[in-house]
Amino acid sequence: MPEPLRLFQPTSIEEAVAVLAELGDDAKVVAGATALTLLYRQRLIAPGALVSIGRIPGLKTIEVVDGELRLGALVSHREVELSPVVRESIPVVADAFGKVANVRVRNAATVGGVMAESDYASDPPAVFVALDAVVDVQGSNGKRSIPASAFFVAFYETALEHDEIVIGVRVPVPPAGTGAVYHKFVTRSSEDRPCVGVAGVVRLHADGTVADLRVAVGAAAETPQRFWDTEALAIGKPLDADLIAQVADAYADQVDTLDDMRGSAWYRTEMVRVWVRRAIESAAAAAAPAR
Amino acid sequence: MDSHPSFAPSGTQMQVPGMLDANLRVRGRVEYAMDAKLPGMIHAKLLRSPHAHARLVSIDASRARALPGVIAVITGPDLANRDDIYPYYGPIFRDQSVLVMDKARFVGDPVAAVAAIDLDTAQAALDLIDVEWEELEPVLSLDDALAAGSIVHDEPPRLGQTFADIIVRTEANSNICNHFKLRKGNIEDGFAQADHVFEDVFTSPPVQHVPMETHNCVAWWENGVLRLISATQMPFSVRAQLAEIFKVPQTRVRITVPTLGGGYGAKTYAKVEPVTAVLAQVTGRPVRLHLTREEEFVTITKHGMQIRMKTGVTRDGKIVARHSTCYFNTGAYADIGPRLIKNGGFGTGGPHKIDNVWVDSYAVYTNLAPAGAFRGYGVSQAAWAYESQMDMIADRLGWDPYEFRMKNLLNEGEPVMTGEPMYDAHFKDLLATAAERIGWDANVKAVRHGNKVRGKGLSVIIKASVTPSTSSASVKLNEDGSLQILSSAVEMGQGAETTLSVLGGEVLDLRLDQVSITHPDTDFTPYDQGTSSSRNTYSMGTAVKMAVEDIKQQLFRLASDDLEVAIGDLEVFRGRVQVKGVPERSVGYGDLVRKARAGNLLATAVYASNGGLDPETGQGIGSVHWHQAAGAAEVEVDLDTGRIEVLKYHAGVYAGRIANPAQAELQTEGNIAFGLGQALYEEMIYDGGQLQNGNLADYMIVSIEDMPRQISLDVLERHESHDIHGIGETSLPPCMPAVGNAVFRATGVRILDLPITPEKVLRGLRANARPQAHVQEIDA
Repeated sequence: MPEPLRLFQPTSIEEAVAVLAELGDDAKVVAGATALTLLYRQRLIAPGALVSIGRIPGLKTIEVVDGELRLGALVSHREVELSPVVRESIPVVADAFGKVANVRVRNAATVGGVMAESDYASDPPAVFVALDAVVDVQGSNGKRSIPASAFFVAFYETALEHDEIVIGVRVPVPPAGTGAVYHKFVTRSSEDRPCVGVAGVVRLHADGTVADLRVAVGAAAETPQRFWDTEALAIGKPLDADLIAQVADAYADQVDTLDDMRGSAWYRTEMVRVWVRRAIESAAAAAAPAR
Repeated sequence: MDSHPSFAPSGTQMQVPGMLDANLRVRGRVEYAMDAKLPGMIHAKLLRSPHAHARLVSIDASRARALPGVIAVITGPDLANRDDIYPYYGPIFRDQSVLVMDKARFVGDPVAAVAAIDLDTAQAALDLIDVEWEELEPVLSLDDALAAGSIVHDEPPRLGQTFADIIVRTEANSNICNHFKLRKGNIEDGFAQADHVFEDVFTSPPVQHVPMETHNCVAWWENGVLRLISATQMPFSVRAQLAEIFKVPQTRVRITVPTLGGGYGAKTYAKVEPVTAVLAQVTGRPVRLHLTREEEFVTITKHGMQIRMKTGVTRDGKIVARHSTCYFNTGAYADIGPRLIKNGGFGTGGPHKIDNVWVDSYAVYTNLAPAGAFRGYGVSQAAWAYESQMDMIADRLGWDPYEFRMKNLLNEGEPVMTGEPMYDAHFKDLLATAAERIGWDANVKAVRHGNKVRGKGLSVIIKASVTPSTSSASVKLNEDGSLQILSSAVEMGQGAETTLSVLGGEVLDLRLDQVSITHPDTDFTPYDQGTSSSRNTYSMGTAVKMAVEDIKQQLFRLASDDLEVAIGDLEVFRGRVQVKGVPERSVGYGDLVRKARAGNLLATAVYASNGGLDPETGQGIGSVHWHQAAGAAEVEVDLDTGRIEVLKYHAGVYAGRIANPAQAELQTEGNIAFGLGQALYEEMIYDGGQLQNGNLADYMIVSIEDMPRQISLDVLERHESHDIHGIGETSLPPCMPAVGNAVFRATGVRILDLPITPEKVLRGLRANARPQAHVQEIDA
């Protein structure tokens, strides 16, 4: 008989962290299991133990506290998508989670899972990066917070230590009047992962000049791509077609695009150019709904 | 509730719901082969080759056999030493072995099989089998295959009992697996008459059937009889193959087939059954093999294809000559490829009256997963070529693609490409309706709306059904007047059992609840060639009707004595035989059965169609009916991204007599889903012989959200016709060229290789976009 896969079902974060600390890389944390099941079935991973965190209380919160939207690690994609709290505070977060795969996947996949997996072709990471979200994690050495932009390190690689788990994501609620959108562009079925996904955040001064502009590109490179220097060039300038094109071109030039079955590197570069432009345009339109 | 209203065949009391088991299916109550549980049943897993082409140097399974829980491990060399087993199979060539004997021919070729008490143990045992391979030069492309630098099958093919309609033409030391020829008229004269000659090359990639239920079966031996419960579309073909493998009479193999979770051609001919049956024999226990989705991807595929098509037309728009050279990539093993190239080959003649046609169609071996029957059966590949080229020719010569088609479509009585006259021709009706439904306008090519542009495309296709072929059915009329149909038709979601019950029951004017039908059981239900080729409703339906008609005549003879009237004066009405127009002089079926002391009335009928083609010219009878369909698409293309949205789709198909309207419509909608997936997304992507997207996360089929917002259907019926035309596949092949033609009309970008991806369109827009004439600008 083969060695059975060991299953741990801790009821506290501390207990989960202790198991991880003891077993090291042989243990995998599992929540919704949508990604892990695929990897396991295709024999891309062969863990000796699973640490299922589903029984840990307190990780399913959706709330706005101190100007921050707080999402617990065990909140499902579907819950984010439908939550009135999310829809009222930062609707783009609900939109982005609602665009993931299909409803069956969204019912199982979790906020913590999509962060910890760090799949380059997931939708939510780009939105979190654009919104300056912070990832709260806990390990043997206690809690720490990592900016989303520093959390995703490479393909399937995050800033998590092996004994750390994601316990939640905090997203600052943008000031009133901010427009934020997420464009998911698929080249095949609507259920496919994005070829590129672009999150755009725009806030304008009364005179039409840019008060805030943030753009993050997902699925085009190993990790979500954001270029603060490029964003900064737009601040204080009128948001016209030329400025938008400059930002879009700068992103297209800077993203080191990858090649997969959803599009070649050349095509992705062109799509970064198109969708950064469209994301800024629609974020700007959302930022100034009444004229 | 069913959205389709129930249907009553005219002049009968029958009320027909959309589908008999729809409710059970939706609630998950249908029993599939995978639900079978037998006492002592164990589980099988296969060790598969990691190499596309490699000689098996040695294989050692001793460590796997020693693993607790493993009941048996078999390897190819084990089988080579067995005098009681002939370890080869395949519907035409016996070129596939139960397990790799000498060399692996694709990534995924099974080389050893484990039976263990559970799947985890079987899986763990696979890792303990030591295999030494010597890698060989793989044949990965058509060019590799034709260069013949490396040969997939070194030995000449072992022929088995073959089909009456197949001509086998193989070459030594070559990767050409079979060659079909068609020679109609005089091709040189034809091109001499042409004012314009066009030559283009079209390709289609291999794609997956993606049945919801993957291949699976349970096999066990019981008193010297091999028993199987299998998800197969062809129980009798599988039985014959297993009898040959085990060198036993066919009576020593018994196969039962529950409802299938989809087939689409993937479940034709033996697939998982041979290796499972050998494991069952070796272990003496019931063995289940159920493929994972990843394994399904490398079990059978649609043929990748390349067609070079040269067509000659006169200046007044008549096609006078067509020369097609077709290469169908049949992968590592022939499966039914040697026959499919015939349908795909003559299929390139299209639904047009062309006096001079020359076709060379080849099945070609490569070191990729085997290709075989796939909904459309070679016609999708052929139609992608000829219906794309029709629009290309029309565009080059400045003609309206609709008018160009109308000028060339076959009329009643005109010869099809195989030389026989076309009967019951409806191509022009179907095209006219398609054009009307999509709103075809010869003067407007494209409508632009900001950065989006819309265009429309048309296509018309012709398809054969396997000819000659045979179906037989038995029926029993019981003492209570109820009717039992014994048929080997396979229910796989298409509604075969509903339709056959209707066709049988209406002959005796019974209610549907008075009719029952069996699943196939090769010990009890009569022979059928297989549930494939859009033939079941017509062929099996005819056999069932003939058998029930026989029962009716038996009832008339009995009633004639009973009522003392001539047979000619009798009719059936609601379960009784009555004197025509005199209901008070009648007798119930049950009374007649009892008076005859027959217990039940029995009848059996055989329907066999005739035909066949001359081996040198491909002329003769190609199909018992020529199936006809049209498609029309309206697409919207994003000019910045190349992404295509299919806004509207119209499918038209000629059905002769419609046996069940709801099911006919659902089959047609299913074809649209299949067709749009192949038009836009589907492609098995290989790198060095390794499949890159062999799972449903990486391989995309259409979801319900991808279906056009507007779909219209035209299941054309001719009320006076009693002839049923198969519609299970016919409306699929028009989809791909209809979409391709619409994209071209919208953008001026012509894609010759499926699928039509956004990237290909964008590259086309950047490279060769020319301003479209007659573009209407619409303000945003």
